[in-house]
Parts: sequence; C-alpha cells; structure tokens
Amino acid sequence: MTALVGTGVVRPGRVATGAPARPLPIAIPVGGGKGGVGKTFLVANLAAALARAGHRVVAVDADLEGANLHTCLGVSDPGPSLADFVAGRSDDVASLLVETPIPNLRILAATHGHFEHPQPGHSERVRLMRQLRELDAEFVLMDLGAGAHPAVLDYFMIGEGGIVVITPEPTSLENAYSFLRAAFYRRLQLAMLSHRVRDAVTLAMDERNERGIRTPFDLLREVRALDPAEGARFVDTMLAFRPRLIVNEARTAEDVKLGFSVRSVCRKFFGIEAEYLGYVNHDDAARRSVLGRRPVVEVYPRSDAAIYLERVARKLEEGLVRRGEGEEGPA
Amino acid sequence: MRPLSEQSHYEVLEIPRDARSDGIERAYRLILATYSEQSLAGYSVVRGADAAAIRERVETAYRVLSDVDARRAYDAALSADRRVEPSAALPEPVEEVVVHRAAAAAGVEAFEDFEEGGEYDGARLRRARLRRSLDFEEISGKTKVNPSYLAFLEDERYAELPPRVYVRGFVMAYAACLGLDPVAVAASYMRRYDAEQPRQRRRFSRGP
Repeated sequence: MTALVGTGVVRPGRVATGAPARPLPIAIPVGGGKGGVGKTFLVANLAAALARAGHRVVAVDADLEGANLHTCLGVSDPGPSLADFVAGRSDDVASLLVETPIPNLRILAATHGHFEHPQPGHSERVRLMRQLRELDAEFVLMDLGAGAHPAVLDYFMIGEGGIVVITPEPTSLENAYSFLRAAFYRRLQLAMLSHRVRDAVTLAMDERNERGIRTPFDLLREVRALDPAEGARFVDTMLAFRPRLIVNEARTAEDVKLGFSVRSVCRKFFGIEAEYLGYVNHDDAARRSVLGRRPVVEVYPRSDAAIYLERVARKLEEGLVRRGEGEEGPA
Repeated sequence: MRPLSEQSHYEVLEIPRDARSDGIERAYRLILATYSEQSLAGYSVVRGADAAAIRERVETAYRVLSDVDARRAYDAALSADRRVEPSAALPEPVEEVVVHRAAAAAGVEAFEDFEEGGEYDGARLRRARLRRSLDFEEISGKTKVNPSYLAFLEDERYAELPPRVYVRGFVMAYAACLGLDPVAVAASYMRRYDAEQPRQRRRFSRGP
C-alpha cells in the first residue's frame, strides 16, 4: 500500500516544559458484540497494512479472556502482556509492548490473563486508556473481543471512530445492534450531569422498561422534559458518537449493500450517524493466512481479501490527513 | 437526525437536497430493501409495524421526489417552512451534519476505485462489480449476457464460455456496465484468456 501521508511528520520528542511534543496517536477500537465475526483478523491486518505503508502502529489485544491477536501477527509467545498491567506487576503500558515480525508494528498482547479476574477494574481501565492514548505511535488499533461488558464499552470510547464488525448473518446483526445501543447509552451515562437524567438513561438500558422507551429518540423526549439543558447535551453526545462499520465475509452484492442498510437502521432507529467504512470479502487466502499465523496483507498481498483490507486501511489513513489539515484527532 | 415523523422526504430517503434522479432511484431501492419483511439489516431492531410505516413514508417521499413538478413544489414549500422555523426539533447544525453525511454517501457507490495499473483479471472485475454493489442479475439485465457467463468470466473458467469472439463481447459489455473502459479492459482480459485458455481447454477435454 502506498502511504497517503508522509511518515516523518510525527516525531517523538519533548519541549522545554517536559510535555510530549508529538501528536497523540489515532486510537481505533474494533468491537462488534459477537464472537467469530473477524475482529482479531481485521485488527491484525489493518494494523499490518498501516505498518507496511510506513506508519508506526501498535496493535492492542484487549480480549483478556480470549487473547490471540499475537498469533495472527506471528508472535508465538509475546512474554510481557496487558495481564501484567491488570495484575499490578507493571504500571507502564509502553514497557509491555513487543515487536512483531512486521517492521513498524508492535503489539500489546493479552496472554497469561488471570482466569478469575481477567478484566481491570474501573480505575485501572481509566489509567490504561490514558496510557494507550499517549503511546508513541501514529495508530493504536484495539481488538476488543466479544460481548458488551462495561470494560469493552469503555475501550470502545477510546476513540471517536470505533469500528463495529458485522458479518451477513442475523446473529451478528443482533449482537452488533445490542453493542451499539449499549455503547451509546454508556456514553450518555457518562455525559449526563443530572441524577434524574442518568436514572432515565439507566431505565432506558432495560429494553423492557416500564416507560416504553425503545429508541434514543424516545429517551431524548424524556430527557428534554426533565431538563432542557441536558437535552442539548444529549444531542451533542448523539452527534459525537460516530461508529464505523465493516462488513466481513461478504460474498455477494447484497452482502456489500448490508453496510448501507445497517447505516440506515442506525440513523432511523438510534439517531446514530454510522459510517460504512468498507467490506472484506470471503476469501480462502484469509483462512490460509490465519493457519500460517501471518496477516493476509503480508503473505497474500494480491488476494481479494488483502486488496479490500488495504482499501479500508487507506480510509483510516485519511484520519492523519484530516488531522494534518487542522481537524482535531479522535484520540 | 430527527424522528421519522419529523423528517423531510430527503431525510427519509437519506439523500442530499440536490440528489439527481438516478441517486433518488438507487436510494429508494436500497431503503425499500432495508425495510422489507425479509431484510437482514433490520433483524432484531425493526419490527413489522415500524417497517411498514417506513415503507409507506418511503413510497410517499419517492412519489414526490421522482416527479419533477411535485418535487419543485415540495422544495418551495420546504424552503418557505425553513424561513419561518429553522428546525422544529434540533438546532440547525444537526441538520447540516445530516445533509453533509448523506451527501458523502448518498448511493451505494461510495467505495473508491484505487486499483491503478495492472491487468484486468476475473477477480478485479468481481471487485469492481462488488464496489458498485451490483449482482449478476442486474448486470445481466443491462448487458443481456447470461448471469452464468458473467460468473464464468469472473472465475476465469474459460472452458465453460462460448468461442473467443463472444467472450470479448461479454467482457466489453460487462466493463461498460461497470463504467470501466471497455477496450482497455477487454484487451487486458483477453491477454490472460489467450495465455490460459488453451491450457484449460486441454485440461477440461481430457477424458476420465
């Protein structure tokens, strides 16, 4: 892949005040609710594609209960991992990064997690995300794992443009919508100031709530009635939430259109402006690359899957261009 | 970003105010499919009654916006409304964002073609087709080429295709339908065909 932007524009360094002089990385969490839709595969390959284009990239495995991002990137035993941070053995996330066989690409693995207490507590999560946002890299891609655990939802907020991966199956769609809904309400809970409004948000999170709140539009009506100022904040939060969609395992033109249709459902039913980032087709080369424990963009760069993945990576690169043009980055 | 009941016809079809007729047609078909009874996209979220209500609104919006005179009258009424009341539901910036986002991806052809150079093989034709979200039936409807032959072209199963002269014609029609340069695509594709075809023909003609 030819880089859209130069790689030498971002240099680590410190100014006289001691504050970091380099821009913060663009953080891109990748979730989707359902397991097996290809989140790990996509993170590994998008990270590899960006690194191959010359960007400094960190791939983070936040799936502490099913870690295997390292395997997809050809790192058989990473040694240090996020589990060391969770267990309190290390307080410095940057020191846990491990080189991968791909130049410019490092990984924060998630191996050797504690079986009983794999997830960090809330305060550890806050510290973790702060450190991830300050890593010396241009891109930090995060594999969130399945489900909509509060930790996963918090990680999804690390950047404004979190990616939701879907496959053309009802089970995937069902989980993706639940995930998006949960992520949105989680954001709202944190954004709202009034206790009464927060209670209303908590109520709305129960899909069978007694007030019949089904969509964010219903909730907005309630919030406005309770507190007009909070209503304005609600709208701001709604507008700031810009998840991005990738359809994985696309086989037909109908599958490709699915992303546009899901975008429409998000808009009409949740008031969420999702962006359809792209699709990756079903390709045996992808499976073979996983068996070989290397990214498909590296071992089969001319395969269909690699070409589609690189197209998505180019869209992610545009984040750097926008930042270069003065728009504030999502980190 | 307003409830359906408060949306304009443009918002219902998710198109910008200056959408052309082909964009309106495409958006209409996509939204009808999205909210059809069997839609995968609506699974678990869109209930039967909601889908029916959306389809009804979509039909009304399409009826108005696909008719030049009706659209002109509607646009005038919409502009007059705006002057009196900028936005009934949300502050003005919200609408700007919606229109901007919709304009950025009004149709189903929002994916860039970035493959430059190189040859046009079957896989590249398939990628070009999928980027435009077209299936074989739609291409066949426009080119009159049998859908099976289109699939054989993409899979490069040359032995299943009719004689060379037809293959070249199919490739040209297919390329034109995708908006590619038919002559360049056919020249590139036929070079592969000429190199590979005798080998495949030998392989397929070999008896058990």
